[in-house]
Amino acid sequence: MKQGEQKLARARMGRMERKKTLIAYSFLAPNFLGFAIFTLVPVVCAIALSLFEWNGGDISRLRFVGFENYATIFNVKKVSQNGLAYFFNRVDLGIALKNTVYYTVITVPLTIICALALALLLNKIRGAVVFRAVFFFPYVASMVAICVCWSFMLMKDGPINHFIMALGIDFNKSWTADTTMAMWSIILVSVWRNMGYYMVIYLAALQGVPKELMEAATVDGANKWKQFLHVTLPQLRPTTFFVSIMMIISCFKIYDVVAIMTEGGPGRSTKMLVTYIYDEAFTKVRYGQASAISMILLIIVLLVTIIQFRSEKKFSND
Amino acid sequence: MKKMLSVVLAAVMMLSLLAVPAMAEDQVLTVVTWDATTTPYLLAQKEAYEASHPGVKIEYVDVASQDYPIKATTMLEGKDTSDVFMVKEIDDIIKWQAQGFAEPLNAYVEKTGYDMSGFVGTEENYKVDGELYAVPFRSDFWVLYYNKDLFDAAGEPYPTNDMTWDQYADLAIKMTKDGVYGTHYHTWLSDVVNWTVADGENTLADRNYDDLLYYYNLYQKLEDAGACMAYSELKASGLHYSAAFANGNIAMMPMGYWYVSTLINYHKDGTCNFNWGIAAVPHADGVKAGSSFGNLTGAMINQASANKDLAWDYISWLGGEEGAAATASVGARPAYVSETVAAAMSSVEGFPTDETSKGALIPSFVGMEWPVAEKVADIKTIVNEEHSMIMAREITPEEGVAEMNERVAELFE
Amino acid sequence: MEQTVRQKNSIRQDNPVLQKILRVVVFILLIALAAFTLIPFVWMVSSSLKLDREVFAYPMHWIPETFHWENYSLIWQKVPLLTYFKNTAFIAIVVTFLQTLTSSFAAYAFAKLEFRGRDTLFLCYIATIAVPWQAYMLPQFIMMRSMGLYDTLWAMVVLQAFSAFGVFLMRQFYRSIPTELCEAARLDGLSEYGIWARIMLPLSKAAIATLVIFTFVGTWNDFMGPMIYLTRDFNKTIQVGLRRFIQENSSDYHLIMAASLCSLLPVSIVFLFLQKYFIEGIATSGLKG
Repeated sequence: MKQGEQKLARARMGRMERKKTLIAYSFLAPNFLGFAIFTLVPVVCAIALSLFEWNGGDISRLRFVGFENYATIFNVKKVSQNGLAYFFNRVDLGIALKNTVYYTVITVPLTIICALALALLLNKIRGAVVFRAVFFFPYVASMVAICVCWSFMLMKDGPINHFIMALGIDFNKSWTADTTMAMWSIILVSVWRNMGYYMVIYLAALQGVPKELMEAATVDGANKWKQFLHVTLPQLRPTTFFVSIMMIISCFKIYDVVAIMTEGGPGRSTKMLVTYIYDEAFTKVRYGQASAISMILLIIVLLVTIIQFRSEKKFSND
Repeated sequence: MKKMLSVVLAAVMMLSLLAVPAMAEDQVLTVVTWDATTTPYLLAQKEAYEASHPGVKIEYVDVASQDYPIKATTMLEGKDTSDVFMVKEIDDIIKWQAQGFAEPLNAYVEKTGYDMSGFVGTEENYKVDGELYAVPFRSDFWVLYYNKDLFDAAGEPYPTNDMTWDQYADLAIKMTKDGVYGTHYHTWLSDVVNWTVADGENTLADRNYDDLLYYYNLYQKLEDAGACMAYSELKASGLHYSAAFANGNIAMMPMGYWYVSTLINYHKDGTCNFNWGIAAVPHADGVKAGSSFGNLTGAMINQASANKDLAWDYISWLGGEEGAAATASVGARPAYVSETVAAAMSSVEGFPTDETSKGALIPSFVGMEWPVAEKVADIKTIVNEEHSMIMAREITPEEGVAEMNERVAELFE
Repeated sequence: MEQTVRQKNSIRQDNPVLQKILRVVVFILLIALAAFTLIPFVWMVSSSLKLDREVFAYPMHWIPETFHWENYSLIWQKVPLLTYFKNTAFIAIVVTFLQTLTSSFAAYAFAKLEFRGRDTLFLCYIATIAVPWQAYMLPQFIMMRSMGLYDTLWAMVVLQAFSAFGVFLMRQFYRSIPTELCEAARLDGLSEYGIWARIMLPLSKAAIATLVIFTFVGTWNDFMGPMIYLTRDFNKTIQVGLRRFIQENSSDYHLIMAASLCSLLPVSIVFLFLQKYFIEGIATSGLKG
């Protein structure tokens, strides 16, 4: 009797569970179908491709090589002889990794701080409409036009160098022709271009911070800074999660600014992972190796995402 | 809002349906190329071919020139059925041959008894294991352009067809004053160091780059003297050489032959109005005067094409004497060399009439900018990377050349 | 008691003179930053009115010698820019519509529903964002070609309409909406679809506006996709068309600038039109903090 009841309850639970799952799937289906066919399948193909040698042409020319592509891009033979320093200073992959991480580590926090500051300033202020449009503008403009212009501004006798010299810093060279400053010119253009974009996301998120919370904080005597730290920032956590993941991914995938402004140079000083992938895939038509490099990128980004994902879940369960 | 959107949507969809291309009754040959609407020789070739082949229409598929290698390769990967693909770089045809996209041509040559003597051996660059895969129709070698007005004003003699690089450098420095640059180098690798292949022995894939040192030092001497615009600034500003020379404050500029037709057009449309001429590029000590380097442009038949015989008719015409005449009629230099073609080249309206310029039309030797060689794509990357370091003065020429030697050697370990 | 606290606060925080000074300083700072942001655009405008060889004249001139307004009519004659505009508009509008609709739908499941495999599937979505397009472009291209979508505008539509980005963005916004709201609605007998339509959608106006803007701008400015997939001239988009001004032996940067500025207009209008949704705060009355 009792057992039967339990069974019944479990069956009912099961049915409810199933119904819930079905409803969830119905929400997912329209997007997932398109996503699976046009993105997921090709991505899975690309993952598999990293284990093959393929220089294009008919698919019958695919040759399974196991992890040989990985051994090649890591230059395992030389690196095992000469150590890690060799990898990061001489091997293309090592240099591209080093550059990309350097770029990401600086660009992500810089952009987030700028975007958040702009969003907070422009959330409720007179003339905000105009300002928001102005700061979003760089994101809208065509990349080629922007990069050409910035290259000009960062030239030896350009306005930016004039400004720097006026500050008493001795730098008299085109930024893009200097191994150190070339990277900074890319960081500068990226931050300039993207801060408005992430500002918009933060602005939208700020609309979701309940007014009552803010008011409660004021009543509690919290000053503005504390209010920001303890009320606004926690409320923005899902957004910051989104922004930081998207930024890390897009920084790891930086390509167009580099392609237009420095072409990875001078030398290999701004060679990035995707510049390297592009070169392998389209100039050297080694699709297998290009896929292998992409997998390195994917693994890094996935690790970062999972860590962030965990902490997001932990916070939202609090 | 949504309603409006759907109305707009429907309207746009209707429009796109209406845009179905009209079917032509002529036999249509599709040719994939770049800058199709603005390149004079393409227009001239189309016109001449259609006039002599009634019932056939050439339809160009236009790709932006920068995107051509990747776009054309992707089209081929996707089994595009366009009949003919133009070959921009020798690399491309080697790549396409290896991927199985290029139709082997020996059988066609035999069948039609195609005479290739006019190519003076350049077609060898399009052969893999003795099999021909493309027909060359343009062969651009490098010449020295100069602004006659600037030389007249300075009272200096014009460059000649027999000058050494040192004489050229001296002349460039002499010409540099009052806002005039003695010479101009574009940011390419080829401008600065490709001269080394003009001796017929060195190539850029020969794994030893010590021979480039002389040219790097020569360049740095000129840059230090202010005789040319600095590489770093040129690179940053993206100034195009065609606009730079057209500005009228550059005395000399080594550049490919293709720039002749650009200059002629500039004079036609009034972009510039100074007198100009061409001379043979300078040569190194002990190398024959008139030696230069260059590259080829050709056409290949797509394996997936349904009109291969017609395609062969077209590309063999394009490379042959008639096609060459059409190409030369607008100032471009065809790969096919004959007296009629040379006469056609120098009689183009707007081409300088002096003897030096005419003499510069016939180089004594043309080395290939990049040879067909093992791992040449990797070598290109390495040499270009170190080149940019040397040119930006981040390392000395000696350090850069040592790096080139070491890194290229590593490729073959 | 409460009153004294509030008074104390207002003395510390709302010192009118200090507040005013602060506001002025912030305002000046914003203007300076805005000016800095706009400099490249001033350069674009000035370049678009110059002759080609003037654009790169060095040192740079901010004001052209003569104003070549004809550049703005030249761009429509030199290339079929109007066709490019139409194509781009078609792709951008359809993609934005599909993307917004399907993403907000799917995001609801990820944010507010419990089902098995949810987190794994979501990670799958994010993972695909992390794979550079260059890596899977070729398999994708070969697949699309076998479906007969090559060189059609629909290729661009299906390629971009179901991106993981939109789902991710909407999920994050939905997560910041209190779950209590959904639960209350469920108790009131509303179905999940009803909750999505009557509660989530109205509450996420700002998020939808954001997604619309991003998708529209992203599609409008996309270059690599159209470059690979669209071949014939009557199918090309603006960004691909712009490349026609850069040729092998010459480049018309003045025309590129003029055409770029023209292509900026529609996107700016979309932005200005939608940004009012960032001002309307959401009504959260009746919620427990």
